[in-house]
Amino acid sequence: MAERVLFNLLQVAVVLIFAPLASGVLSRLKEMVQSKRGPSMFQPYRDLWKLFHKDEIVSEDSSWIFRFTPYIVFVTPIFVALLIPVLTSYPLFFAFMGDMLGAGFVLALGGFFATLAAVDTANPYGPVGASRTRMVGFLAEPVFMIVFFTVSFVAGSTIPYIVQQKWVTPLANFFAPSHVLLVLAFIMLILAEGGRIPVDNPTGHFELAMIDESKSLEYSGRGFALVKWGGQMKLFVLLCVLLNVLVTPWGLAAGQSYGAVLLAIPLVLFKVFCFLLVLVVIESSLSKLRLFRIAEFLGAALITSVAAMMTQIFLP
Amino acid sequence: MSDATKHLLENLNALAAGLFLLTGFGIVATRQARGCLNLFIAQSLLLAASAALLGLRYNSAHLYGVALVNLVSKPIIVPWLLRRTSPAGIYTRREIDQVLNIPTALLIAMALAVGSYFVGIPLAKAVGPDVRGPNVPIGIAVLLLGAFTLTVRREALPLLIGLLAMENGAFLAGIAIARDLGMLVELAIATDGLIIVFIMGVLVRAVQKQVGTTAVGDLASLKEGSPEAAADEALL
Amino acid sequence: MSIIVILLLPLIATLLVCVRLGKRWASGVTVVFCLADLILVARLAWLVVAGVAPAELRDAAWSNWIAVDGLSALILLLIALIGTTAAIYSVGYIAHEKPEPKRLRLYYANYNLFIFSMLAIPVLAEPTLVWIVVELTTLCSALLVSFYNTREALEAAWKYVVLSLMGAGVALFGFLVLFAAMHAGGGGTYTWAGLLAAAPRMPPMLLQAAFLLILIGLGTKVGLVPMHTWLPDAHSQAPTPVCALLSGIETTSILYVILRLFPVMQAVPGSHAETWALVLGLISAGTAAFLLLQVHDYKRLFAFSTVEHMGIILTAIGLGASANYGAMQQILNHSVTKSFCFFAAGAALLAMGTREIAAVRGLIQRSPAAGAALIFGGLAITGAPPLAIFLSEFSILKVGLTQGRYVAMGLLATFIVIAFFGVMAHLNRMVFGAPTIAAPQHHQPETAGSFRLPFSCQLALILGAVPVLVLGVYVPKPLHDLLAMAAAALTR
Repeated sequence: MAERVLFNLLQVAVVLIFAPLASGVLSRLKEMVQSKRGPSMFQPYRDLWKLFHKDEIVSEDSSWIFRFTPYIVFVTPIFVALLIPVLTSYPLFFAFMGDMLGAGFVLALGGFFATLAAVDTANPYGPVGASRTRMVGFLAEPVFMIVFFTVSFVAGSTIPYIVQQKWVTPLANFFAPSHVLLVLAFIMLILAEGGRIPVDNPTGHFELAMIDESKSLEYSGRGFALVKWGGQMKLFVLLCVLLNVLVTPWGLAAGQSYGAVLLAIPLVLFKVFCFLLVLVVIESSLSKLRLFRIAEFLGAALITSVAAMMTQIFLP
Repeated sequence: MSDATKHLLENLNALAAGLFLLTGFGIVATRQARGCLNLFIAQSLLLAASAALLGLRYNSAHLYGVALVNLVSKPIIVPWLLRRTSPAGIYTRREIDQVLNIPTALLIAMALAVGSYFVGIPLAKAVGPDVRGPNVPIGIAVLLLGAFTLTVRREALPLLIGLLAMENGAFLAGIAIARDLGMLVELAIATDGLIIVFIMGVLVRAVQKQVGTTAVGDLASLKEGSPEAAADEALL
Repeated sequence: MSIIVILLLPLIATLLVCVRLGKRWASGVTVVFCLADLILVARLAWLVVAGVAPAELRDAAWSNWIAVDGLSALILLLIALIGTTAAIYSVGYIAHEKPEPKRLRLYYANYNLFIFSMLAIPVLAEPTLVWIVVELTTLCSALLVSFYNTREALEAAWKYVVLSLMGAGVALFGFLVLFAAMHAGGGGTYTWAGLLAAAPRMPPMLLQAAFLLILIGLGTKVGLVPMHTWLPDAHSQAPTPVCALLSGIETTSILYVILRLFPVMQAVPGSHAETWALVLGLISAGTAAFLLLQVHDYKRLFAFSTVEHMGIILTAIGLGASANYGAMQQILNHSVTKSFCFFAAGAALLAMGTREIAAVRGLIQRSPAAGAALIFGGLAITGAPPLAIFLSEFSILKVGLTQGRYVAMGLLATFIVIAFFGVMAHLNRMVFGAPTIAAPQHHQPETAGSFRLPFSCQLALILGAVPVLVLGVYVPKPLHDLLAMAAAALTR
């Protein structure tokens, strides 16, 4: 029992520690593809370190929401990390608290508070970003729902530990159309929710074109560090769900020993970095969509997920 | 053949069919004429893949023939014939003003696809227990999506592709239910796409020469009613 | 070998036409070959009526591919007959347009290929092959429809092609389902005869689905009402001889393919095939009758009349076995009458130079032949006694009334009467009254005053009028037997 609690906390630690590394590697890879000389892949750690040592300035006109939001944004991915398989292929101590749907809602809670906080200050760019985020969110919501329904239909469960085995036993199931199409739809969702390139440009500095970034424009110091770290963890957690549950449930620790669990850390990181390569290819080969074409992008995701559902449910 | 291999082949076939359905949706929504053509080529390749996989699964030489004919006629001969018969301008066309906006069109297309499942499943079940996989409903769905494409597009190439997609859908369903129809199906595949492309290509060329546009769907001067009104519309 | 020769002759003609040998060569070759074909087809029909199977049909190697029974023989006869008269009509009509030699050759090559593809439909026994030749008819006829290369002609051809090919896609799926049904019912040879034999063992649901898919798919090309929108355009924009072919026999020969399914469907209890035919037929006849009232182009008038007559034929089929003879008679009479009507309309077009009804007045003074032919054609196609169509429509209505289907027959009679008034009101205004010479479109009348039709057009009009007159009062015994055999082919 104590081991299970420990492993669970280890999962949280892995997410906390390696999430900035993942985003650092992502931007480093992109720079390499674009033949730029950028900062090293450890730059996000330095950024966080710097921000934690800076003063925080809070608008006098803002309410408690603005002050609390960084903590909520920071905590929700950690909470999700307790629920999903990051390192082990068997449920750990806190996994009983929620399934994939629950994890989705917890992440949505963080997004909700981030939106409120953006409107809370009188910064004109905040509400713009907030309403755009909501637009993307509304459009992504049905896709999320259909993806989860299809997953639960195929696996008979929305508990990630059951789902991840379903796709690969027997291995032929890996090629089931519902699986491949779901993965496609989910990748599109990650691009939309994570503010990645065809939907939003995470490295853009032009406020009018921002979607995700403009919500944290008013933060500084520790608050900004928490929001930033929270965002990185959210992406990491989503990648874990995609890789460990939907695409490649291999490399996770099956045994209860410390060695197996510690060995799972590099394996999972390897998978994450491999997927980051895919993400870099996507981000470098596509250009950002105009705002009103985001609906078409998510429409494509919706169609993909519906096709996945139909090929599964109606299989004669 | 072991059960595991059979299962794998069936799943791969179903995957080809699922992606086939996605290309059908893509043809409804793609603005670029060239993109439509590429989607059609992908669709034909997936049809060939499905035929080959089903041929492997049921050990049917005839289905290999279907795959081969498809592989040769659609991705190679159709674009070649298109280039020979129709004006070069049709590739570079973009359609800004479709009859319906894209999300609406996609929603209707989705409803059509869902509806076709309720037709396709009983049909597949009636044929026999060994018709597995989603070929029949997806074939019907793409048939309907192709017909829907014909109603929402105006540009010549997407219309042509819509027709070809209809035929592709019919064949995808057909290879699952009529596995040993013999060489006639291959003949039908070989002639059909070519007939469509040839006649439409020739017509588009004539239309572009006479009217100066390849948005053939905009031609609408022939109708009932008073002759003056018709003449007015013809002038516009 | 006569059947093979029948199919080969138009193909040979297609090749010969492409040789450049003077102005009259292409048209002469077409007329001669069509006449030869007509003689061969008549002989074949005679053999079929006499109960002597032609050589090919006795040979097992051929019988899986080729089959000719009473129904096929009737359709073949009509195709050959109208093909010949329309070819004769073309000689003067197309020459009157003065096309370039290249386009002239193209026209006749397409014409012969079109005749070939239609002749192949009733001869071939394998449904998938039939589907392929149906596609071929679309190909050839679309090129004929767009012959004038005007904006309107191209629009008509485009609509025609898109809708026909759409229908063909649906029908293709129907034929594949039909095969699957046969396979699920224990197999057999996939021919019309094989289908008939295997029908009782087939799963009713699949047969039903196949029937509906083929009915909708090919019904598009027949011009049944929800799918009819292309028909008035294509059948009015094409050169007139082609209109006669399209309206007179192409629709009928496609309808033949649908008719082939009815005996198959009778093996299935509760198949409702006949109800479908009745409902679709009445809808087509009714819609066309009302649309007739508001046309402004007299070729469209006759095109809508085709839709109406297809509806009447389907309604007759829907009445069941006792009306089959009437339906066959209607097919025959409609083909000969409608082709005559288009010949008359073409004559009016040559004389007046416009297709607008409103622009034509006093046709009978400008060209007595064209005016008389037009009024005669109008009376004949709307079923005035004692002309051919009257006889068949009357016999259909009689069967329906004896069966006690008063509502359906009442509707049908109403539609026929509306169509009569619609057609005659338009034609009356055109033929009689003070003559006007309209602003010419693309047919330039040479001189004002009287107009003389080309000789071949006059000949075709006379040849076309003979069966219209004769069949109204007297059906020769062999023809009667042929019709009876055709009707018998529609029941199990």
